[in-house]
Amino acid sequence: MAASALFGQGIFEDLQRKIDEDTAVKDAIREIVQTLEKQNRATQAVLSKAHSTPSAELPNVLTAARESINKEIASIQTLSKTASQYPYYKYSYSWTREMQGAVFGILLCGYLGGMDTAPGQLLTLEDVGRILDVPTNLKDRDAFHLTIEEYLQSLISLLDELARLARNSVTLGDYKRPMEIARFIKDVHAGFQILNLKNDSLRKRSDGVKYKVKEVEDVVYDLSLRGLLPKE
Amino acid sequence: MGIKRPHEAMEDQNSQAPQSPFMSMFESFRAELDEHHDRRERIIKASRDITAASKKIIFTLQRLRTINQPLPQHINKSNAQYYTIIKTAYASISKDVQNLNAYRYARQVSGGNQEYIEAASFEHYLTTASLLTYEEACAKVRALDSEGPGVDLGYEDYVLGIYDMTGELMRFAITAMATSGALPAPSSSENENDMEVDSAAQKRNILTDLRALRSALESLNTNGTGPFGKEADKKADVMRQSVEKVERALYGLTVRGAERPKGWMPDLSESRAVEVEG
Repeated sequence: MAASALFGQGIFEDLQRKIDEDTAVKDAIREIVQTLEKQNRATQAVLSKAHSTPSAELPNVLTAARESINKEIASIQTLSKTASQYPYYKYSYSWTREMQGAVFGILLCGYLGGMDTAPGQLLTLEDVGRILDVPTNLKDRDAFHLTIEEYLQSLISLLDELARLARNSVTLGDYKRPMEIARFIKDVHAGFQILNLKNDSLRKRSDGVKYKVKEVEDVVYDLSLRGLLPKE
Repeated sequence: MGIKRPHEAMEDQNSQAPQSPFMSMFESFRAELDEHHDRRERIIKASRDITAASKKIIFTLQRLRTINQPLPQHINKSNAQYYTIIKTAYASISKDVQNLNAYRYARQVSGGNQEYIEAASFEHYLTTASLLTYEEACAKVRALDSEGPGVDLGYEDYVLGIYDMTGELMRFAITAMATSGALPAPSSSENENDMEVDSAAQKRNILTDLRALRSALESLNTNGTGPFGKEADKKADVMRQSVEKVERALYGLTVRGAERPKGWMPDLSESRAVEVEG
């Protein structure tokens, strides 16, 4: 080995130590996120029954969903405690997807009336923060929280799901719900329109919202054409 | 899908629709997102400025032919303007990357950081014949915003910048060999006299330094996953090629000697050899 004064022995050992510390944190977080991922799937499986359940039997589905969501909340609490020890944005990429999934479940359950909500209600960012017991849109300190972007991503997932639910409601003989969904999606769409989104995934997905508006309007149109819309 | 906004008419309709109950929530989102995007744009622009200025510094440094010598006046003078640009750029964003936002824009600021570390470590090597350490690099970046809170340098950007620096060492070595016919080595008073001694293998030169760097960087276990690991793997490939280019050039010098006549064409069967001029 060439005698070298190019660098001291310790330089690369120190770097390796930093890399290893990082890896240990990532592994610890990944374990929690994987649990959350499984719970997310379970919640989604329960909630998807809403597409085939008549309104009268929906409360059973929502009770089961609520139980599943409570498990997710517990995981997010654990995640929050672990993640808050480190700079938020250093590792946030590893959980943001599952956070979005969990929030989507809460928004859908909330819309269906299962989160101590009235049916048709949109849980706000702050509402979701209270349910999860985590701060939202933090600015003044560095800790785990729910971001606006994550909330908006989940909201778009909710709209996608509701467009599907509008059609399936008709199949179940519920002609009122498509109208409610149409109004809801239009209202949310109007909100998205005032955002100045840049070329990111949020922009791409929110561009698709207008097609969801149209899909649901088509359902309402089909119903009205056949005189099936309930009189208000 | 290639659908290009066929629904503008529909959007117009919506603007006349009764006020959505969610408007105030979205208005607050808009304010927050606008702030975030503005900050992001600022950082991207600063990062580009830092990258461009650092490249120019490297360009100037490549005109040097010595290692372990203070920079000549004209080099310092021509690089001063670029250091000013870099300082201004770092100062313009240091407040944007504090506390909660420290890592939020890591991806945007990374390009500039890496290029600056490449320039700073290359200059450090040329003037001191030693590797800029991570601590020294952090202090240098911190000093660029002496009035403000400073920008934190992650070890990732440092390591990636050092990888890039090996490419500059290669370019420096090849140019020096082509012009002087010898592999550049750190000049110092004690071994200046025995430059021609045959125990060259034991002496430091730019190739032994490159090899030492290569083996140290290769033994870093970056755990291949995540953006840093992937980028490091890519740069490691380029680094290996750089070392090999210098080795081939040295082979050419050793086999054919330095006094190869000008205009002499290599034997065509030697297609693998890289010419010093290449």
